[in-house]
Amino acid sequence: MGRGKGTLALLLVSAGAAPSFADPIEDKAAICSACHGENGIPNDKAIPIIWGQNEGYIYIELRDMKKGARKNDQMAPIVENLERDDMMALAAYFAAKPWPNLDQPRAAPADANHFAVMANSGQCGACHQSGFKGAGTQPRLAGQTYEYLLKTMLDFRSGARANNDWMTSLLKTFSEDDIKQMARVLAGL
Amino acid sequence: MLKKLGLAVACIGAIGLFASYGAADEKPEVNKKEIKPAMLFGDMSLVTQDLLNRAGDDGNNFLHTNGNYLQTRYYPARQINVSNVSRLRPAWIFQTDVIDSLETSPIVVNGTMYVTTSFDHVFALNARTGEEIWAYRHKMGPITTYCCGPNNRGVAVYGDMVYLATLDSKLVALDAKTGEVKWTKEIADPEKGYSETMAPTAVKGMILIGTNGGEYGIRGFVKAFDAKTGDLKWTFYTIPEDTKGVWATTDATGRDMHRDIEAEKAAYQKLGPDLYQKLGGGVWQNPAVDLETNRIYFVVGNPSPDLDGSIRPGDNLYTDSLVSLDLDTGKYICHFQYIAHDVWDLDAVSPTIITQVADKDGKMIKGVLHAGKTGHVYVHDAKDCSLIRYSEAMVPQENMWVLPTKDGARMLPGANGGVEWSPMAIDPHAGLAYAINLHQPMTYHVESTKYPDGKLWLGGAFKVIPTEEQWGNITAVNYNTGKIQWQVKTQQPMIGGILATAGGLVFAGEGNGHFKAYDSQTGSALWDFQAGAGVNAPPSSYTVEGKQYIVVGAGGNTQIDYKRGNSIIAFSLPD
Repeated sequence: MGRGKGTLALLLVSAGAAPSFADPIEDKAAICSACHGENGIPNDKAIPIIWGQNEGYIYIELRDMKKGARKNDQMAPIVENLERDDMMALAAYFAAKPWPNLDQPRAAPADANHFAVMANSGQCGACHQSGFKGAGTQPRLAGQTYEYLLKTMLDFRSGARANNDWMTSLLKTFSEDDIKQMARVLAGL
Repeated sequence: MLKKLGLAVACIGAIGLFASYGAADEKPEVNKKEIKPAMLFGDMSLVTQDLLNRAGDDGNNFLHTNGNYLQTRYYPARQINVSNVSRLRPAWIFQTDVIDSLETSPIVVNGTMYVTTSFDHVFALNARTGEEIWAYRHKMGPITTYCCGPNNRGVAVYGDMVYLATLDSKLVALDAKTGEVKWTKEIADPEKGYSETMAPTAVKGMILIGTNGGEYGIRGFVKAFDAKTGDLKWTFYTIPEDTKGVWATTDATGRDMHRDIEAEKAAYQKLGPDLYQKLGGGVWQNPAVDLETNRIYFVVGNPSPDLDGSIRPGDNLYTDSLVSLDLDTGKYICHFQYIAHDVWDLDAVSPTIITQVADKDGKMIKGVLHAGKTGHVYVHDAKDCSLIRYSEAMVPQENMWVLPTKDGARMLPGANGGVEWSPMAIDPHAGLAYAINLHQPMTYHVESTKYPDGKLWLGGAFKVIPTEEQWGNITAVNYNTGKIQWQVKTQQPMIGGILATAGGLVFAGEGNGHFKAYDSQTGSALWDFQAGAGVNAPPSSYTVEGKQYIVVGAGGNTQIDYKRGNSIIAFSLPD
């Protein structure tokens, strides 16, 4: 994928034009690369890594954004004309890519130990699984950008991210400092 | 990858021989008699109905997830027994290529073992050597919705086929000799929250399967598929259209559940007609099968959403219940609800056991046992599902039944139990049931939320209290009296299952990697092996060429987050 396609896609999105999805999957995916990164590293750290993310999770998020259950102004025009098959194809495409290593710093042992206590308390591993890599419709958290993890958890906590109420209820039981620490540890995995 | 014995011992290291049981070479008379191979039944090239029927007396094979149709997990071979178990050592270790939760019950047919892994792979092994015969690696669909780990609890065997249910809610029939897929059927739509972790049950030409999804707003069921063709034969919905029940104010033990019945009745007028479609009621574990009466008995899990009762008024039938059906038709016969309108997820998960029990007058009748997350063993009359008695609590119970609050209400047991999905075993001669328990204090938080389109729907949160101690125990309950006979505390909450044998032993593993044998009458620890990863799977036993084996998976556990591994370890006595 060349930079030109990404730039074009960004322009289309910025202009509010509905993108066409009659193109082969790589062309469709090029729109995504404008923000999520041509090499899998997002251009803005508050934008999530989707390369190597779990297929079912990517699909569910696209589905929820189209339904309006997950609000995102940037994504809204992108998903507007996506059909289920498009979403599934995009999910499969990005899931097959390698997860990029952002080389974020590993947490200090004391932070990691505190995180382990918090994760046990919240039973985080029951969904996010071994190594916090998720599977199926459960997202990988390990190595995700710190900024996105923090924003997402705080958005869940405030209810701004409203497509998983369980996360809202759970994260309300943690302090903001706890959440920052969780984001740091998860980013460094 | 197959590890030779010497390497395996060097890597993992068997430990702990207990001197109190005397010289290992001494064998009591009863054991000498039993060292000969157990009886063979039927044509061993096929798993016949007759072979399955006789599994309870079959000391060669291990044919059902819970040992036999009655689900006693009482293995009749006694070559390995209280006098020699201290000499038990690994015979072989098979390592799967999936390092994650192992909840499989190894099934053994005439020297071939079938085990499953997380993400639904199946391995056929030589049960004597651990050598791989074939492997089936399930190609998982993209949509899987499951709450508690990518688990699979094993296969069912019938005829020349092996049956597996998968996280993407498919029933897969494999050729038992090659692992080739014979057919695949969708059980339900995974995008709506349905998934499978239980092993199927094979009986009378049918494959029975329940469903997970009580955390996802499903409508639970048990389905029967034709074993040859995969055609659906019947469906029993665990949630009837009329779910209100009898407006019970107390649980099975008579404790007040603090329901506002008048408010619920008013809400039911409005919400009642549509409740059944998303009320949960998963069936996590196998039914016990009574071929004398042609009935099955199973337990139904929690209502959806778990913690928020405000949007599901009524008793939420048949959630948190024992249910009995006609085997041929799937028609309802009777039920008993433990907790009406559950808002704690203290539901019914551990599989049922059929055995003779003393009724209230002391007369022996056919009964059904179930171990609850509440920490009680419940004893029922098999005829009408009614409750005869419940055991002393096996774990601390505090503040029951305080209602969940926005900020969290502390109540014991925590939402994992008591007894989780872990199967019990019994010694029918001693009248003892063996259960493994968790003590994991939690706070229960409620927050009303709308149905999230097949995603996790708890209506609040459970939170383990980080400052409180967690532990587990193994408890032997006299089910004819309800009294606890013995109890052994473990370092960590217990999840996985237990096996009892005619050798006077029970075997159970722990999250810290210990796999132990206990005297089934006293609870004395007789043997201990460190497996290197959590042993959180139900053990099995079998005999090949006159040698009895105990086998168990050591893969850790996702739900409680115990160290993952990938080993199937078979143990036997030295030659």
